[in-house]
Amino acid sequence: MSKETIDRKNVGVSQEAVDQMITTRILSNDNVQFTKTEGGFLSLKSDGKEYARVKVLRLFPFTDPERYISVRDHNDKDREIGVIEELSAMSKDTQDLIHEQLALYYFTPQITKIYSIKDEYGYAYFHVMTDAGECKFAINMGASAVVRLSETRLLITDLDENRFEIRDVTKLTQKEQRRLDLFM
Amino acid sequence: MADALKVSGIEAGDILASSPLDLSFEAEYLDGYLVLTKTKLALALYDKRVEEVRVFKGYAPKKKKKKIEQTPVESDVKVAVWDREKISDLKMEHQVATNLLVATIGGESVQICAFTNLYMGTMNHLLKVYENPEQALKKKEDQEEDPDLFCPICHTKYPDPKRKICPNCMSKKSIFVRALKYFTKYKLALIVMFAGFGLSAAIGLIWPYFTGSILYGQVLEKKEVPVFDFLGLSGKHTMLLIVLVITLLGSRLLNMLNSMVHGIVSSFIVVRSVLTMKKDVFASMEKLSMRFYTSKQTGTLMTRCLRDAERISGFFLDGAPGLIVNSISIIITFVVIYRMNWQMSIVASILLPLLVILSVKLKPGLWILNGRRHRAESSVNSRVNDNLTGARVVRAFGQEEPETSRFEAPNEYLRDAEVRIVKYNNRFTLLYELIQQVSSIWVWVLGSFMVLNVKSMSYGDLITFVGYVGQMNGPLQSFSWMFRSWSDSINAAQRMFEIIDAVPEVREDANPIPLTNPRGEIVIRDMSFGYDANRPILKKINLHVQPGEMLGIVGRSGAGKTTLVSLLSRLYDVDDGSIEIDGINVKKLSFKDLRRNIAMVSQETYIFMGSVLDNIAYAREGVSRLEVIDAAKLAGAHDFISKMPDGYDTIIGSAGRQLSGGERQRISIARAIVANPQILILDEATASVDTETEKIIQSSLNRLIQGRTTLSIAHRLSTLRDAKHLIVIENGRIEEEGSREELDALGGIYHKLSTLQTQSLALKELEQE
Repeated sequence: MSKETIDRKNVGVSQEAVDQMITTRILSNDNVQFTKTEGGFLSLKSDGKEYARVKVLRLFPFTDPERYISVRDHNDKDREIGVIEELSAMSKDTQDLIHEQLALYYFTPQITKIYSIKDEYGYAYFHVMTDAGECKFAINMGASAVVRLSETRLLITDLDENRFEIRDVTKLTQKEQRRLDLFM
Repeated sequence: MADALKVSGIEAGDILASSPLDLSFEAEYLDGYLVLTKTKLALALYDKRVEEVRVFKGYAPKKKKKKIEQTPVESDVKVAVWDREKISDLKMEHQVATNLLVATIGGESVQICAFTNLYMGTMNHLLKVYENPEQALKKKEDQEEDPDLFCPICHTKYPDPKRKICPNCMSKKSIFVRALKYFTKYKLALIVMFAGFGLSAAIGLIWPYFTGSILYGQVLEKKEVPVFDFLGLSGKHTMLLIVLVITLLGSRLLNMLNSMVHGIVSSFIVVRSVLTMKKDVFASMEKLSMRFYTSKQTGTLMTRCLRDAERISGFFLDGAPGLIVNSISIIITFVVIYRMNWQMSIVASILLPLLVILSVKLKPGLWILNGRRHRAESSVNSRVNDNLTGARVVRAFGQEEPETSRFEAPNEYLRDAEVRIVKYNNRFTLLYELIQQVSSIWVWVLGSFMVLNVKSMSYGDLITFVGYVGQMNGPLQSFSWMFRSWSDSINAAQRMFEIIDAVPEVREDANPIPLTNPRGEIVIRDMSFGYDANRPILKKINLHVQPGEMLGIVGRSGAGKTTLVSLLSRLYDVDDGSIEIDGINVKKLSFKDLRRNIAMVSQETYIFMGSVLDNIAYAREGVSRLEVIDAAKLAGAHDFISKMPDGYDTIIGSAGRQLSGGERQRISIARAIVANPQILILDEATASVDTETEKIIQSSLNRLIQGRTTLSIAHRLSTLRDAKHLIVIENGRIEEEGSREELDALGGIYHKLSTLQTQSLALKELEQE
């Protein structure tokens, strides 16, 4: 039986609401207008509707960070408004605005240098240089604090669940890699 | 900083709460403070970074918290001030690994500041002060005196309050001494063991002497030695040879006997000490609260812990005594060969330190590689396991080939790891043996020279000498292993003591109030709870359930429904507010009373290894068989149980007969019926059964809930038909409360859910037409 023949009028939930729940709306340059609010958030005008505060999320934060950005209406319990398929296809302004929001939302310093890793009583103490500056943090060895996202990529979570990332282990020196051997 | 705030009209004395912050909106580290006074909220940011290095929790446990005044004022400070009157709705928003403080100012929502998880705690405190100054400030004082957060010995704060281990105080020595206690109670066995070690070392020491000096130097040379006279065998060389051979044979036999005794004794101690350790660990684990199990670091801890017990005894019973005996026998051997011929003994041992250095320096590399192989191996294993258990799905989706290639990567990784080990091992062995060979060739060359030309040594002595030199290699090589075994076992012991020492968070009151025949009234006041105290799951819940009433709990998955009901039986303790049964705070009740009066049938069924009878009778002691059968009948389980060949004696559980989801659920229901509690919790009790069975269970549940206070969580609203009192939980709050009709009339979440469900029902019916 096809969808159209089902009479939903009796049931009370609007066809529109159901459609919204089951279809993905693609946002493109033609139907969106992002602006930054005075409070520092993003607002969106799209297809005649205005959203005072929207939230942007990556659907594939590790494997495809620049594509499939989900845009959500903060004032309506983060309901999805639509998905930006390709961020680079959006206007320059939009890209900048969204990148700014994403940078803070997914803030994860990239480790560029490992000064030392000390492993003691179930904790490992890291002293590293990141793209955001020099950091010292501790992780719990028993937990899965070091996750391998791929063969060469590591995500490290400290005791407070702050995140640090090593994009490419092979870019580190041999010595630094050996320090990581404990986790590889 | 204080000056800058003063300029902006904030006096240090007015400050109620403050929190450091460390992120800019551009996602860069910075330094600053958020300050709260009675009338104002102020944000002060340094122009430049004050701290070059970011230090996160746990890295420097000794460092004291900085006060605002103490920060060096070298860079300019920018201050922004808001009037609290204009602010409404100040709250924290969690992002992936950062947080935002957001407020509504003049109708517009505004980002106040951003910070990492490091300051989540202090910000949360500031927010609490903002909402309720008196209560929060009082609480803060209590908290700072909370001794649980500090090490009792050196008073530094634990790096992670959830793991109460002070890196300063937990020295390797104290762990060693503590672990030793597991073995010292077997004194006699230990003495026998050490005697055995000593004996085998002694035999090892005299062996070269017999086979060298005596056999070659005296018996075969036909020398006359006073000892032979003493034995009355002077001149009878054949007889001497026989005696010698018998002696040698005897000592070998003695050695074998000795190692047999050693095996028996050590297995005696190992089995018992490992058993005691595991018992201690298990007893401690049973006492711990649910939060211990949900905090993720402990999951792996537990499984490892059981292996750890063996690792500990491995070192203490093989490693440590071996170390002592080996050291002694090396020293004695050296003294012996030194006295035999000091020039040669120096030549022979000159390379020995090199061997020690080699094994201490190079062996650790091998262990790292071994660890790598181990991880590769387990990833291959888990792949295989995934694949075999999911075989049905793999075939159904026709994914055989991709699965095979998915398997290749870890497999290749394992191969590489193996190859690296072999390569490394080869290099090591080659080098090691080279040095050994060189030193033994030296000894032979020099020794032969001495025997032939200088005549300062007999042939027999040379044989003895070479024998001794060869004997030093074994203990030397074992040293490097000992090194490793030591640190391994200490780490293992530390993990084990961590569990044994863990203090249960949910503690029974010392003087519990008895609860007999409760009415089953439940009152929840201003209750808040979060698995992580900084991220509340339930917020300010207020609820009153009358005795005998059925409360329906509705909400989407993840809203906090199951959490709410687990708080009732104190699987966790509430962070704020209280839960009362019959007017008594649940914290004041004994666990026994509490859990006897509350039974839970949940979506997660727990069937342990045992008979059906044991499983149903689990909840109450001294249940008669008839009661069990009645309960099973009520739960709709009697039929399928009787049809199993072994009836109520069928062994179920992991290794026993496999039950379907619905069967497991019905057994859990029967268990709850047997428990006969005044308060019944049904958490999606009929989620995993078909419609037919659901009807059966539903009708038995209806009989079960008569006269009991029932909290029922359900996705299918039809399940809650009989509930007069319903609540809807959304985002950790009770959003709607009332009867079905009232909720429907509200036109809110409940209305939406119920129309959606009727709609899907309608669709189903349409499709069936």
